[in-house]
Amino acid sequence: MFIKHLLSLLIILFIFTHNSFAAGKSYGKKITLKKTTKISHILAEPKKFDGKKVLVEGPIVDVCEHRGCWMKIGSDKEFESIKFKVDDGVIVIPMDAKGKSARAEGIVSVKTTSVSEQIEQGKKHAKETGEEFDASTITEPKTVIMLKGEGAVIK
Amino acid sequence: MGIVRKWNNILHRDIGYMIVALTLVYGISGIAVNHVQDWNPNFSKEQEFLAIQPIHGQTREEIIRESLSQLQIAEEPDNAFRPDSSTLELFFDGKTYTIDLPTGNVLVEKIQQRRVLYEMNQLHLNAPKEWWTYIADVYALSLIIVAITGLFVLKGKNGITGRGAWLTTIGILIPVCYWLYYLYF
Repeated sequence: MFIKHLLSLLIILFIFTHNSFAAGKSYGKKITLKKTTKISHILAEPKKFDGKKVLVEGPIVDVCEHRGCWMKIGSDKEFESIKFKVDDGVIVIPMDAKGKSARAEGIVSVKTTSVSEQIEQGKKHAKETGEEFDASTITEPKTVIMLKGEGAVIK
Repeated sequence: MGIVRKWNNILHRDIGYMIVALTLVYGISGIAVNHVQDWNPNFSKEQEFLAIQPIHGQTREEIIRESLSQLQIAEEPDNAFRPDSSTLELFFDGKTYTIDLPTGNVLVEKIQQRRVLYEMNQLHLNAPKEWWTYIADVYALSLIIVAITGLFVLKGKNGITGRGAWLTTIGILIPVCYWLYYLYF
């Protein structure tokens, strides 16, 4: 009798949790902004948005496969996307979020990395992952525009 | 058996029963996420390669229509994205088609949750936050109580003054020695 009741409870819990995820799921802090900013606008004029909090939306076109610590959100313009980077463990973006739609809020970060910094990072990454790294391919400084993620709703 | 030891053993036994399930959850998930560099403990990914005819559409809509038609997919994709001029990505629930438009080579990736292990990892990493934080705190406190009461379950040569002292000391030395090795070597 006890086992029967326990199984019923587990089935109810399973159905409840799976239905509650179907409507879209929140990650991190609650979204505070009402107005969205087009990703193409941020990428066109990054300096204007640097350090500002923005709300963007678009398809999730890639996700960090190991730790779920970033996702790329497709822009409203072709061939563009922006990385939404979150602190490890604070928000974990699930791998199956790829292809879903996101409304994501974060601070725009524009950082230019020098050649020597890129080489240093590349060597560190190669050491950690075991992948090969050719320092001669780094020839010029690189500007990375991304969002320091604070919160998102994925559905 | 003294009254203190009696209650010590009752606490050890009953809290022990209570935390069996969560200990299994945290233990199994702990092993799984400990090797996150080598595999994804939450999801499995299957890859398949297909070949279709090169896609010649000019507009984004034409390219998507032609690709869906060639792939014989009637369903509308959840989203579509073009990372560059020669690639189209079509997203369906848990499935991504990456099409190289000039050659017609298609990579199909299917992502699936690892059943049960996914749920265990979510609890272990406190994905639900809110109330689960407090449940996890109570569990951690219970573990501490079980560990301490465990020291005093037995008395005599197998208790904490005999065999237990040696084994407990080994248990302390393993993390301490490893940490010193990690710091200085």
